[in-house]
Amino acid sequence: MMKLRVPLLDGPSTSAAADPCGLQSLGVGGALVDSFPLPPVQDLDSFEREVVEYVKPNHGTTTLGFIFQGGVIIAVDSRASQGSYISSQTVKKVIEINPYLLGTMAGGAADCQFWERNLGRQCRLYELSNGKRITVRGASKLLANTMFSYRGMGLSMGTMVAGWDEAGPGLYYVDSDGQRTKGQLFSVGSGSLYAYGVLDEGFKWDLSVEEAIELGQRSIYHATFRDAASGGTVSVYHVTQEGWTKVRGEDVGELHFKYYPQPERHPCNSVDPLAA
Amino acid sequence: MAASLPMRATVPAAGSGVKQHASWSPYDDNGGTVVAVAGDDYCVVAASTRMSTGYSILTRNKSKILTFNPKCLIASAGMQADMETLHKVLHSRHVTYQFNHRRPMGCQAMAQLLSNTLYHKRFFPYYTFNLCAGLDEQGRGAVYTYDAIGSYERVGYGCQGSGKELIQPVLDNQLKAASPLVLPAQQWLSSLPLEQAVDLVKGAFVSAGERDIYTGDDVEILILTKDGIRTDKLELKRD
Amino acid sequence: MAVEKRVTSPLLEPSSIEKVAEVDDHVGVAMSGLTADARTLIDHGRVESQQHRFTYNEPMPLESLTQSLCDLALRFGEDEEGEAGMSRPFGVALLVAGWDAEGGPVLFHTDPSGTYVKYEAKAIGSGSEGAQTALQESYRKDMTLKEAEVLALSTLKQVMEEKVTATNVDIARVAPKWHLYTPEEVEEVIARL
Repeated sequence: MMKLRVPLLDGPSTSAAADPCGLQSLGVGGALVDSFPLPPVQDLDSFEREVVEYVKPNHGTTTLGFIFQGGVIIAVDSRASQGSYISSQTVKKVIEINPYLLGTMAGGAADCQFWERNLGRQCRLYELSNGKRITVRGASKLLANTMFSYRGMGLSMGTMVAGWDEAGPGLYYVDSDGQRTKGQLFSVGSGSLYAYGVLDEGFKWDLSVEEAIELGQRSIYHATFRDAASGGTVSVYHVTQEGWTKVRGEDVGELHFKYYPQPERHPCNSVDPLAA
Repeated sequence: MAASLPMRATVPAAGSGVKQHASWSPYDDNGGTVVAVAGDDYCVVAASTRMSTGYSILTRNKSKILTFNPKCLIASAGMQADMETLHKVLHSRHVTYQFNHRRPMGCQAMAQLLSNTLYHKRFFPYYTFNLCAGLDEQGRGAVYTYDAIGSYERVGYGCQGSGKELIQPVLDNQLKAASPLVLPAQQWLSSLPLEQAVDLVKGAFVSAGERDIYTGDDVEILILTKDGIRTDKLELKRD
Repeated sequence: MAVEKRVTSPLLEPSSIEKVAEVDDHVGVAMSGLTADARTLIDHGRVESQQHRFTYNEPMPLESLTQSLCDLALRFGEDEEGEAGMSRPFGVALLVAGWDAEGGPVLFHTDPSGTYVKYEAKAIGSGSEGAQTALQESYRKDMTLKEAEVLALSTLKQVMEEKVTATNVDIARVAPKWHLYTPEEVEEVIARL
C-alpha cells in the first residue's frame, strides 16, 4: 500500500499511537531533527553564522523573574531588533504556556516562540495522559532536553520557565546550550546586567505583592534606559496558586515621567560643576 | 545526543569531490517592498512589482502576493526563488487543508502555518520577509509580520522588504496606536477610513520609489473587504 | 454523554473504570467494547488534536478528528517500517462528542469498521437498542443543558440492570469545554430524575 511520508510538523503523524507523549516525534528523540532540512554545505557552523547576517532574525531583550513571599513575578520589555533596526516595539515576550505556566523570551524570537509553543503542546499531552498538570520542574526539563538535542546547531534561546505546582512556586532558567538551573531570581538578555543592578538592590523575600510588581517594573525600566536593544512596553506578570495574571503593561515613555517627574533633575542631566 | 550526526550523512561528505567557492552563497536579494494596513472592516495590501539583482532590473512585473481565498493572502519580499518555493508549499498546504477540513483556511490558521513553515527551514532559511494579511473571524483587518525564520506577531499595519526602513516610520507616524501590551487594554487597530488608508499606502510607495532602487515600476494593491477583493494599480517611475 | 460503569465485583474500585475520556478542550469520547483498544485511539486523537492546534493555532474540526481516528482503525495488518503493525482491527465503538468553532455541538459515532456517522443523539453498547428507542422518543433539538442531562441519565437508567448511583455512572459534557462531572454533580442530576 502506498504511504505518504509526511514531515512531522505537517500534521497527521503516523506513529502517534506508539508515541502518545510526542517525545520521540518532537524534540527528545531527535526524529524531528531529520525533518529540519539542512543546507548542502560542509561547514555548517560558518554557514549558520552567514545566514544570521543575511536574514537578521529578531533579537535583543531584558527579562527577569523572581520568587518572593507572594508568588513569582515575571517582567519583560517588548523590543525586537534586527541589527540596528527596531523591527518591533510590541513583541509579546511572555509566552503563556498554560494557565499555570509562563515562559519568557530572550535571544532568537523564532526559536523561543516555536519551542515554547512546542512545550505547551507537550505539557497538554502530559496533562491529558496523566490526568494532572505537569510540574514546573518537569516542564523546564522537557524544554532543556529539547535544547540539548539541538546543541551546537546555532539555536539561541535564554528563557525562564515560571509557574505554580503542588510544590509551590517554581522558577527555572533554561537556555539553548542545554543548561537548566533552578533559582529564586534571574534576569536574562542584553539588558540583564542593568536589571540585576536594580533588582538585587531592591529584592527581599518579604516584599509585598505590590512592592514586588513595582520592583520588577522598575528593574526593566532602568534596563531599557541603558540598553539600546531593550525598550517598548514593560509587562509584569504575577503567578500565584490560582495561576498567572498580567498585572502591568506600561509604555516606557510613560514610565520615564513616572520615575522622573522632573526630567531635568534626572541624574543623566546633572549640571557639570566645572562648566560654571 | 549527537543530533547532527544523522544529518551529516545526508550532506555531501567531506572529500566526496564537492568543491565550493569560499565566498559562495545560496542567497540573492531581489528587493521589493510589501505593505499591509488593517482597518475595522478592511485590509489593504500592496507590493511593488520590480524584481532586481544588484543594480540590474530583471523584470518590472513580478507579483509578490499569493491570494489563498477572499479572506487570506500573503505578500513576500526578499529572494524570488525562495518566495516562489514558499508560495508553492503554502498553496499546496492550503489545498490539502480544504480537502481535509472542507473549508478555506482562516487568516489566523495561515499565520500560524506560515510561521511553522518558515521555522521548519530554521537551519537553511527561506530568504523571504513576509506579511500575512486578511480578515479575521470577526471581519476585522488582520496583519501578521514575520522575520525570516518564523517569529511572528499580529499588528495593525506592517511593512517588509527593501523599503521597510523608509515606509515603516511613515506608517508609525500616521497610524500608531497604543501598544497591544498596555494595561488596561486600549484600541490598537487603526481606524482610518478605507480610502485614506489606500492613499497613505500609495503615498508611502511613491516616496519610497524615490529613495530605494529596489522599489519602483508598479505597485499592486489589493483591498480586502467582506464583499471580496478589489485590485488597484499604482504606476511608479520606471527609473 | 452518560455511561454506565458496570461494577462486577464489590471489591472493584469504580473510579478506575474509565469509559469517557477527554481528547482535548473541545472533544470527548465515550466508548463501548474493548476499552483497552480505545486507549490507543484516544492517545492518537489527543496527539492529532494537539498537532492541529500546533500547526494552525485553532481547535481541530470534529469531523477531521473523527476521520483520523477511523483512519487509524483501518491501519491494522500494515507493517510500520519494519516494526510489527497492528494485527487485528480495534474492537471498540466510540461516540465522539465535541464543539466546532463554526457549527457548535457535534456528535459522531464510529465503529470497528472505520465508518463514522453523524448523530443528534446516539446510544451504543449492550443496552443500545432500548436506549436508542428512548432517545428517539424524547430527544428535542431545543433542549436545555439541564434537560439533556436528565434525558441522558434517564435513558441510561432505563436500560441499566442496577440502580443508578454516583459510583456506577459517569457523566461528561462539552459545552463548549470538556467537563467530567464530579460525584456530587452526578448526585445532583440523579436527584432531578
